[in-house]
Amino acid sequence: MGIAERVARVEKFRKMPIDGQSLKRLVEAGLTWLRTNQQIVNSLNVFPVPDGDTGTNMVLTLQAAWNEVKDSGTRHLGEMAAMVSKGALMGARGNSGVITSQILRGFSRSVHDNATLDKEALVKAFGEARDTAYKGVVRPVEGTILTVIKEVALATESALGSAQDAIEILEVAVKAADEAVKNTPELLPVLKQAGVVDSGGKGLFFILEGMLRHVYGESLETPTMSVQPLSAMNLQDAMGEVEEGQDYEVVVDFVPSGELDLSSFYGRLEVMGTSIQVGEGEGMYRMHIHVPTEKRYEPIDYIMGIGTVTKVAIENLLAQMDDIQKSSQLQFTPVEPGQIAVVVVSPGAGLSRIFASLGVAAIVPGGQTMNPSTQDILKSFENLPTDKVIILPNNKNIILAANQAKEVTVKQVAVVPTRTVPQGLTAMLSLIPDGDLGAVAEKMTKAIATVKTGEITVATRTVEIDGVNVKDGQVIALLDGKLVVSAETVEQGVMDLLEKANAAEHELVTLFYGEGITHAEANRIKDVIVQKYFNLEVEVQEGGQPHYQFLISIE
Amino acid sequence: MGDDKTTLGGIHISPNAVATIAYHATLESYGVVGLAPKNLTDGIVSRITHEPLRGVSVRYSGEDIDIDVNVIIEYGTRITSVAQSVANTVRFHVEKALGLRVNSVNVHVAGLRVSDTD
Repeated sequence: MGIAERVARVEKFRKMPIDGQSLKRLVEAGLTWLRTNQQIVNSLNVFPVPDGDTGTNMVLTLQAAWNEVKDSGTRHLGEMAAMVSKGALMGARGNSGVITSQILRGFSRSVHDNATLDKEALVKAFGEARDTAYKGVVRPVEGTILTVIKEVALATESALGSAQDAIEILEVAVKAADEAVKNTPELLPVLKQAGVVDSGGKGLFFILEGMLRHVYGESLETPTMSVQPLSAMNLQDAMGEVEEGQDYEVVVDFVPSGELDLSSFYGRLEVMGTSIQVGEGEGMYRMHIHVPTEKRYEPIDYIMGIGTVTKVAIENLLAQMDDIQKSSQLQFTPVEPGQIAVVVVSPGAGLSRIFASLGVAAIVPGGQTMNPSTQDILKSFENLPTDKVIILPNNKNIILAANQAKEVTVKQVAVVPTRTVPQGLTAMLSLIPDGDLGAVAEKMTKAIATVKTGEITVATRTVEIDGVNVKDGQVIALLDGKLVVSAETVEQGVMDLLEKANAAEHELVTLFYGEGITHAEANRIKDVIVQKYFNLEVEVQEGGQPHYQFLISIE
Repeated sequence: MGDDKTTLGGIHISPNAVATIAYHATLESYGVVGLAPKNLTDGIVSRITHEPLRGVSVRYSGEDIDIDVNVIIEYGTRITSVAQSVANTVRFHVEKALGLRVNSVNVHVAGLRVSDTD
C-alpha cells in the first residue's frame, strides 16, 4: 500500500464516527494481530511462572470477547463495549488474560453512555482502564502489563490538548505502549536477568498496534520485523507453522560486517520465504526462515554477502512434519466456556484420529490391557476451558475409572457408558455440543443401542465359555462382549461373527484393523464380505489398536 | 520435609517460613485484593501477635508440603482464572525459594470485594 493510499484511508477513517461497529472491527484487528504475534509473546514468558503461554492466554481471552460481539449489529459504542467486556471476562485465561479483561472492563464502563468515540472519550476510557486494572491487585508489580496501561493512560492524557482526534490518540497510545514495554526490564529485575521484555505488556502492545494497523490498512497476517533477544528465540514452536510449499527450515548464525539494516534485511528475506525470525545476542545474530526447496541456499548466500556466517543448519520440514503427524499431532476440537467437551479413551492411533475428526476435545490413550487411571482421565479434561464434560470410556473395564473421575472433579461430568469403541464412535456421531449436559448424554447413551460391536482377537488359553470351545492360539470372535465363535483364521472369524450378528439385516459394517494387520489384508477380507453380503456397505479404517486384529461396527 | 542434614548439623525450615513466602506471592497475584483469616480464632490471634500470616496455612506430611490460602478476590474478575494463577504463583515461589516440592496449593475464595459495579 502506497503512502497516498494510506493517507486517503486514514482521512476516510477520520471522517467516520467511531461507533459500535467500528469498535467491533478494531477488536477483531487487535485479536488478529495478537494471534499473528502469539509465538513472540509466548517466548517472552518468564514470570511469575515460566510456562510460556501468555500469548495463548491473551489470544483466548480476546477470542472470547470477539465471539461475544461478532454477530452483533449494534451501532451504539457503549453497548458494543459492554459485550466485549463481558466476553473477555467470561473467557479470561491466565494472569494476563484476567488483567486484559479488567482493562477492557474499565474501558467499557467509561464509554457506557457514549454512542460514538471521540478523543476525549478515548482518553477518559484509557484512564478508567488503568484504574480498574490497578484495583484488582493489592501489590501491583511494576514492569508488567499494568505499567504499560498506566503509561498509555498517562501519555494520552497529556496528548489530549494537542491531538486532533481519536486516531491521533491511538497513535500516541501505541507509541507509549511500545516505549513502556521496552522499559519493563528496568523495572523488573527478573526480566533483565532473562534478557526479555514483559510478555503480557508486549501482548497489550500488539492489541493496540493491531487496531492502529487496521486504521492504516496494513496487513495483520504477517508479523513485523523485530529482533528478539537470542535467549527468547523459540524455534521449536515455529515448527508448528509450516506453510504450503515452504519445505526447508534454514537457520543461520552470523556476525554482520556493519550495522545490520533491519528493514532491508527483512525485505530481502521476505522475498525468499516465511516464518522469519531474527535474534541477537552480544553482536551475534541468528536468522530463522522457512523456504521452498529450490531456494534453500539463497538465505545463506545472501547473508554471506553482508557478514560472516558462523553456523548453518538446514532441515527438511516435510520429513519432520510427516513424523509429527504420524505420532500424535491430533487436531482436537477447541471447546469454549459453557460448551460440552467430550473426552474419549482410545486404544489406537488410527482410532484416535477418527475420534479427533468427529470432534472430541481430548483423548486418553488406553484400552483392554492398558486401562487408564482415574488420574489420567482427570488430567485430560481438567485444563479444558469448559466445565461441562462427557466421558466415553469405550471399554467396560474403564467405566469405573471414568465414574471415579466424575466424583473427584468439580466440573460437571456425565459418563456415557460405552463398552466398546464402535459404541463410542456411534455416540460421538449423535453429539450436539450445546445444551443441557444430562440431555445430551442421555441422547448419546440411547444411540449406543443402535450399533453392534464385533471383536476379533486370539485366545490366550484353552477354555470353554458360553458353550464355545476355544484352544490357546485360536482366533476368537466376540459379539457385544460375548464369545460367539472360535476359528482357525482371522478371515473365518470375521465371517462367522457377521453370520452370528445377522449382518444381512444390517446396512453398514466398518472394519477397524489393528496392529499386525495390513491395509491390504483388511481390504481382502472386505472383498470376501462384500461377495457374500452384496447389500451390505463395508468400510475399512485403520484402528491401530493392539491385541485385536479387528474391531467391527455393525449398524 | 523441611529437614536437611549437613555435616555441620541440621537445617529445619518451619512452616511459618513457607507461609511467609506463600503470603507474599499471594498478595502479588493479580485479582487478589486481600487474605482472610481461616476462622475467628485465627483472626484474633493474628490481630494480637501482628503475625502477618493470616489466611495462609502450611502443613507438612512426610515428604509433602500442602499449602492453603484464603483469599478475597476483586469482583468482576474471572475467579477460577485468578485462583489458578494464585496456585501457580505460590507453588512457583515456594519451590524456587526453598527448593522443596509443593504437593498441593488449595485456594479458598473467602469473599469478593466490589469496587465497581457494572
